[in-house]
Amino acid sequence: MNEPLHPALLPQGLRDLLPPDAAIEAGVVARQMAVLASHGYQRVKPPLVEFEENLLAGAGAAMAPETFRLMDPISQRMIGLRADMTPQVARIAMTRLGKAPRPLRLCYAGQVLRVRGGETRPERQVGQVGAELIGTDAITADVEVVTLAAAALAASGVAGLSVDLTLPTLVPAVCAALGLGAAAVDALRAALDHKDAAAVAAVGGRAALLLGKLLAAAGAATKALASLDALDLPPAAAAERARLAAVVAAVQRAAPDLAITVDPVENRGFEYHTGVSFTLFARGVRGELGRGGRYRTGNGDGEAATGFTLYTDTVLRALPAPAPVPRLYVPLGADPDAAARRRGEGWATVAGLAPVADAAAEAKRLDCGHWLDGDQILALE
Amino acid sequence: MRGNETLVLALPKGRILGEVIPLVRRAGIEIEPAFDDPDSRQLRFATSHPGLDVIRVRNFDVATFVAFGAAHLGVAGNDVLMEFEYLDIYAPLDLKVGHCRLAVAAPAEDAGRDDPARWSQVRIATKYPEITRRHFARRGVQAECIKLNGAMELAPSLGLSRQIVDLVQTGSTLRANGLVEIEHIADITSRLIVNRAALKTRAEEVTGWIERFREAADAA
Repeated sequence: MNEPLHPALLPQGLRDLLPPDAAIEAGVVARQMAVLASHGYQRVKPPLVEFEENLLAGAGAAMAPETFRLMDPISQRMIGLRADMTPQVARIAMTRLGKAPRPLRLCYAGQVLRVRGGETRPERQVGQVGAELIGTDAITADVEVVTLAAAALAASGVAGLSVDLTLPTLVPAVCAALGLGAAAVDALRAALDHKDAAAVAAVGGRAALLLGKLLAAAGAATKALASLDALDLPPAAAAERARLAAVVAAVQRAAPDLAITVDPVENRGFEYHTGVSFTLFARGVRGELGRGGRYRTGNGDGEAATGFTLYTDTVLRALPAPAPVPRLYVPLGADPDAAARRRGEGWATVAGLAPVADAAAEAKRLDCGHWLDGDQILALE
Repeated sequence: MRGNETLVLALPKGRILGEVIPLVRRAGIEIEPAFDDPDSRQLRFATSHPGLDVIRVRNFDVATFVAFGAAHLGVAGNDVLMEFEYLDIYAPLDLKVGHCRLAVAAPAEDAGRDDPARWSQVRIATKYPEITRRHFARRGVQAECIKLNGAMELAPSLGLSRQIVDLVQTGSTLRANGLVEIEHIADITSRLIVNRAALKTRAEEVTGWIERFREAADAA
């Protein structure tokens, strides 16, 4: 038996944003984009859907299970609805802007759609604001994207920011140097993802001992780096460690108020990252506010790049309710110049479209705190 | 919406609690007397630390509270963690209490009667449908799970399902119901779990508690 569909019902994980939330969201995105633009990042706007083959190439493959697909009736090819905008921006940098001078700084804002939400983040349509810094392998670039992400979040009003730096290449380098097989690596990966020290120890051997120490090293940056330094790492991993230390020191200098933690074994969602990566949190806020890090464009063989994505839904959860824009009821027949002046002062004017007997009552009915009487603003009782 | 400033430790009701409380004490946490009062309706309890409260909830709910950051720390068996696989939960410490195992059990008279390699589908009564599905999928068998919240051992004798997947401690409940363990899925112990964002944003405090529990567990 099919129940009739209620007209308000939306598919799972989708929602309408009503006043004032829709305006608040747009304001947050605008403030973050203004910070990115002011640092020389130029905005691009890729389309909502593109050919699946391109969308899921290289690092985009990570989003394959989350991507809605449909058949394009015109080209008879599969097209995918973007679940992440980073691969699109990387594609633009590689192709249409391939000849633009490097380093290339691009930013973007848009909506993405995911097949499934997470358990603790059920939204399937979420907003992204991001920046990509393409064509450079410099440590200064790593530092720029971390501090820029923090600055954009701070400008949108997020307090108590905390960045967790990680090295997705460290564990693979250690595993390779110790000659672990693929099955053992997979078991370790799963255990490390849950910080399950017991399961790491259960794998046994030298690898378990070293990875157990890496696991225990996670924490506040200065302490974590000191514990990392004390470990005897294979040469490839040691080089990565030195780079991480340099990035941490430079971020600490550039953003002294930012809380920094280091987690050498964090990997989830960083499978395609090739160097220093990071996740942004805020105290008391559920989930991640954003993440970013080093990758290569194309099929992992393209240019060195780094960047970040901020998640608008989590950012909104982190913000206190902003002061509403004051609304001023302007009765029919009022002086248009007086109303225009008030708009210039920051009021939102709500024009009466028909004469009313009691302007105060009409103002109240329309959710205005004040009304215009001649040139005077009167407050409701 | 912002969470609590006071850290919240979620403890599981029931079987495990008696084994966990001594660890909590050894970690230097004294819970207010109402916690031990069976007549109290209170759900949230103050401790000897002004910045730490304790809540007591069902063991599956411990994981939910911690995953969503409503509680920052908790104690949960790895059976619960395996069932939900919450990405926002870290399990940094094995408390080495609440030992048991997760197993497939069937009526004694069925054991060895047919060849499991020929199965394409099994019907299983369990509290752990996800673990069960994954376990059987790994060997190419589709598990049709009937979710029960208790008394799984009744299912085979009443024809609800041939097999069950459940926690086994001594095996006496299985034997009393004419069942035998036919497959081992995992060894289970209680873990100290923490919310991922809490660990990152309050690294010093949360790591401090993990260390105190580590010392308490090692001393046991």
